[in-house]
Amino acid sequence: MNKVQYLLTGGIVTAVITLVGIVFELPASFAFVTSLVGLICLLMLFKEIKAVYSIPGEQLTSSPNFDEAIVESMLIGINETLNEQMAMVAQEIERSKNLLRDAVSGISDSFKELQGLSATQQQLIAQVLENINGLGDDHSKTMEDFVRDSDNTLENFVEVIVSTSKQSLKTMAYTDDMVKQFDGIFNLISQVENLASQTNLLALNAAIEAARAGDAGRGFAVVANEVRSLSVNSTELNNDIREQILGAREIITSLREAVEKMASADMTSTLESKSNVSEMMNQVQEMNQMSTKIVDELANLAPRMSETVSIGVRSLQFEDMIYQTLGSLDFNFKQLSQLSHSLSTFDKNAVNPAAQLQAIVAECSAISQTTKDKNEHRTVSQVSMDEGEVDLF
Amino acid sequence: MALKKFVSDDGKKITISVDERFDFSVHQSFRDAYIDADTIGSEFILDLSKTTYMDSSALGMILLLKDHVEKSSSSLKISKPNDTVNKVLEIAQFHRLMTIER
Repeated sequence: MNKVQYLLTGGIVTAVITLVGIVFELPASFAFVTSLVGLICLLMLFKEIKAVYSIPGEQLTSSPNFDEAIVESMLIGINETLNEQMAMVAQEIERSKNLLRDAVSGISDSFKELQGLSATQQQLIAQVLENINGLGDDHSKTMEDFVRDSDNTLENFVEVIVSTSKQSLKTMAYTDDMVKQFDGIFNLISQVENLASQTNLLALNAAIEAARAGDAGRGFAVVANEVRSLSVNSTELNNDIREQILGAREIITSLREAVEKMASADMTSTLESKSNVSEMMNQVQEMNQMSTKIVDELANLAPRMSETVSIGVRSLQFEDMIYQTLGSLDFNFKQLSQLSHSLSTFDKNAVNPAAQLQAIVAECSAISQTTKDKNEHRTVSQVSMDEGEVDLF
Repeated sequence: MALKKFVSDDGKKITISVDERFDFSVHQSFRDAYIDADTIGSEFILDLSKTTYMDSSALGMILLLKDHVEKSSSSLKISKPNDTVNKVLEIAQFHRLMTIER
């Protein structure tokens, strides 16, 4: 194998590596390096050919048609390979761009939505807590107020019960006094009864004495009889009074029962209610403390969340970098395309093939120079995402 | 007898001791225990150490006793109520009105 064949093989291998790099999405710098190596191979190849052609004398003249045919077939081969790979590279670059654009816009949108949702969530939670604590409206009752009211109501209730009991017991004492009075009346009635029976006895004696007096006592007998019937009447009256008082005593017994019921309220249920209210009060206070804690935590969480989202959005600038890298790749690709075009202009039937080859080589070196210049002005020199300014979105 | 009464020798310290149930059934004897003691500056002690149940009429009775005690410028002290009884007294805010000695 001669030097031309080596260089040719080198060029093809480099082109294949470039293609592999693009297919496996290796960094753009890799593609650039491989395409540069390829270019250098080509340039050296042309130099070699030029050297062969520039030797005047036997070699050129002895078999010019043979060399020209080889050169043309070689150039056509290289050109075909180049075109084939360029088509693939172009396709892959376009595909990467589309994928990147879609993915980035999707991520960006979801980040923005995330931020919006987080803000809404924050508002809703704040609203809920406001409702619980009654911070929003001065007129609305809080849970704590409600429990305190219940406690007050319960205390008032107990007060009413106790004062009712006290008054009932007072009534009871008055009733007992009244019963004593009744007993006194009973006593008096007994005395009156005694008087009546004595009167009765007296009237009886008077009637006996009147009978003994005969006609003279007839009138007195009438009076004695009247006195006797009066005493009987008064005994009946006394019995009526006794019955009435006995009736009153029965009523007092009922009154006692009623007052007893009024005075005796079982406090067990009230005790339970009271302890329930106390427990509720504790729970409400606990709840309030918890709410305050949650509000604080949420307040801390909100800025952290938006910062995280900002970092996410900022990280999306890799799209721009990759775009620039792809742009460079595009440029290198166009250079390759130009090179391919230059190669295709070779005509073996031309008057001076050597001169034609020299022209192609000159074009190649011009292309090479342009690529070098462009690389020096390359904008994307960043390696890490953390560096650089954030003013892309 | 659900109620006991002890009077000191000088008649100035009256201890009324109530049994298990302090309710309406004892109101008569309770009243009788204090109604005649009207020496100025006496010391009334209501011993509830044996009491396990107390209803609202007991509270009413204690209030009436307090009224009576105040009439003779005497003092009233509730002695050794158990937990339940003490809770009832607390609910009725009695600890604001009189001394409760646990």
